[in-house]
Amino acid sequence: MAMSTAGRPVAAVASPAMPRARHRPMRRRGGFGDDRPWRWAFFSPALLLMLALGLLPLVNLLTTSFYDVTWTRAAAVWHGVALAHYAALPADPLFRAGLVNNVVFALAAVGGEMLLGFFLALLCSRIVRGTALYRTIFLLPILTPGIVIGAIWKLMLNYDFGLVNQMVGLLGLAPQDWLGSPRTALVAVIAVDIWHWTPFCFLLLLAGIESLPQDVYEAVHIDGAGFWQELRYVTLPLLAPAIMVTAAFRVMVAFKVFDEVYLLTGGGPGTATEVLSYTIYQRFFTENRVGYGAAMSVAVIFLVSMLLVLSIAARRKAAAEP
Amino acid sequence: MMQPQHKPHVTRRGMIAGGTAAIASGGVLTGKGRAVETAAPITIVINQSPWFDSFRRTVAEYEKRSGNKVNLDVNPFAGSLEKQRQSVRSVHGQYDLLVMNSGWFAEMYFGEFVEPLTDIDPSFKLERDVYTLDDTVYFDAAKKVMAASGKLMSMPIAPLIPLLYYREDLYKSTGLKVPQTFAELEANAIKLNHPPHIYGIVQRGARGTASVSYDFYPYLYGFGGNVFKDPGAGDYQVTLNSTAGRTALEYYLRLAKEAGHPRTASIDQAEVILNMVTGKAAHIMVVAAAWSQMDNPDKSAVVGKVDFAPPPHARGFPTAPGLGHWLGGVSRNVPDARKRATVEFLNWFQTRDAQMFYARAGGIPISSAIYNSPLAAEPRFRWMKAMAEALPHAVNIYYFPQASEVTGILDVGLNRAVAGEITAVAALNSMADQIYHVMASNGYRTGVL
Repeated sequence: MAMSTAGRPVAAVASPAMPRARHRPMRRRGGFGDDRPWRWAFFSPALLLMLALGLLPLVNLLTTSFYDVTWTRAAAVWHGVALAHYAALPADPLFRAGLVNNVVFALAAVGGEMLLGFFLALLCSRIVRGTALYRTIFLLPILTPGIVIGAIWKLMLNYDFGLVNQMVGLLGLAPQDWLGSPRTALVAVIAVDIWHWTPFCFLLLLAGIESLPQDVYEAVHIDGAGFWQELRYVTLPLLAPAIMVTAAFRVMVAFKVFDEVYLLTGGGPGTATEVLSYTIYQRFFTENRVGYGAAMSVAVIFLVSMLLVLSIAARRKAAAEP
Repeated sequence: MMQPQHKPHVTRRGMIAGGTAAIASGGVLTGKGRAVETAAPITIVINQSPWFDSFRRTVAEYEKRSGNKVNLDVNPFAGSLEKQRQSVRSVHGQYDLLVMNSGWFAEMYFGEFVEPLTDIDPSFKLERDVYTLDDTVYFDAAKKVMAASGKLMSMPIAPLIPLLYYREDLYKSTGLKVPQTFAELEANAIKLNHPPHIYGIVQRGARGTASVSYDFYPYLYGFGGNVFKDPGAGDYQVTLNSTAGRTALEYYLRLAKEAGHPRTASIDQAEVILNMVTGKAAHIMVVAAAWSQMDNPDKSAVVGKVDFAPPPHARGFPTAPGLGHWLGGVSRNVPDARKRATVEFLNWFQTRDAQMFYARAGGIPISSAIYNSPLAAEPRFRWMKAMAEALPHAVNIYYFPQASEVTGILDVGLNRAVAGEITAVAALNSMADQIYHVMASNGYRTGVL
């Protein structure tokens, strides 16, 4: 018996109002007219290539994570360690610090970006003139290469001659070591990330706002709804899927942050700005611990995948709600 | 059956090769004091350091004098290491001479990636005046230690150690005596500390790749401490958190607090040097290679005002700068002809003539003959006296391939202490514990206090 989406039984026979399924001639499996082998024959090279490019590196990484790899002369020596690398992760002080900082970073940065991006999108959706100009200006930070962003903000936040401290000085306050103090370093990196990625959120949310049905707004205006009521009962519910997608995407990217930390603080002072990607860089490349670095990479991929799964589940749940 | 008659078969390629050889050998005989050798072209992988230009000019001089071809593959610090690793791990190496930093030469020795120089050319010998830098040019493969009992694996390229840079003009005007002990350094730094105009001392407290740890070694060693009990003999009992280690770290932190820069925890080497050349530091302790920046009028506001001294030490101990040197080793996986050509270059590089040229070009000579020559008396080379005093006491930091792990631990722990996150004692105990685990998990003879 077929079920409707509301769970009520419906007749298996299509009603006259329903479009009929297009008639497709049935071909006997393995018979003369069966074209499935040909479909697979033509599709399989692309599938194999896709699998090779997408899965092989991951399989290789996973395999490496169960070994200690050293090199002697021109040969790699593989020594199996089973799950020892994974077992060592919780005790690794840099991994622990990186995990905590990553969570703080992702929540604070993405939260800030979403709020600012949404506010700007809301503001700009009401502007009629000069849209090309303001969009270009807002988009500049995401068009700027990471290395340039590092240079810009390293100069801006410099203790001795940075623009930020000069402005602080104008207010009669003492200069701050923004990147060198354990109290402010992570905040400073988060601020730079917000500057960098808010335009991305703005762009997606603006596209979402502009695609909302105008007749609903006209209806609530006729009903006498104010700005906040319109925002609370119309805009936010309708925009929820776009907000979810944007936030999920940003959280995943924020979890992989590397360039800003590498360029601005190098993970310091102490472990104040240590993040997982930077820890992997140190363990894998600097310390040449290939197997352990691979295990750490797999763990991070798992964490990011979990975020993806959670966001998909949340989206499905939101979509299923009436 | 008649044997086929073999006629002498001369190909066009053979004729060209023969002709080239004839011209080359003729050149050797007829050249005006300029040898034309036929050694194979070699490639050197090297980092872009402040001393690189002097090395490049010295290599150009070698090419001019020998007629041999040398290619330089120049990279940033981390890039040079990655390229060397890629090359030595492949069947056929790309680079002939690896210019290895103190942080990774042990990896190359233990992995048998470089061939002993005397295996390539049994007649090769280090010149008597060339520094062996705590015997780091040797490796005893059986005992896995760097000792003169082992084979000659490499030759120094840049014998870098930290020196004390101080404002000689301020010393003269205030009547201070050049510090020999840590107590004298502290007293002088406090006296010259007038922030924010000038800081008594600017230390390299930032976390990085051997950043604050490298800055700390002269203090640790100078107080009689060490990370391990006797690493040269393979005894890796962790002694970092000994009384000497604690005294050294507490002194380092006190110096930063009483006479240092307010943001020592985020200052890297470039900023330390910047503070000196802009006149904002009365003392710094950085590698000798920075000397040329002090007298460069395009970069420095203190031209002729900076003088040099060996790193101070506690009473009863010698000066003990940590080695941050560069060694040249020959790749094992390159053709024999290129190995021989590389040894030929090294053989020339260690000569007095070459070293004199290297020094005049701005390099740090590897031979004591230069430090004891009249060149050292020239005002421009006034840093040589301090180098000559300090180099014989230089201490090897990296005895094993996992040294970068230990350095990483030290950099985080020391930086946390400098930043005030944790106390000196907590930092030392935490670092000692982590280092012990690294050594134990890699099978070294280790222990804790």
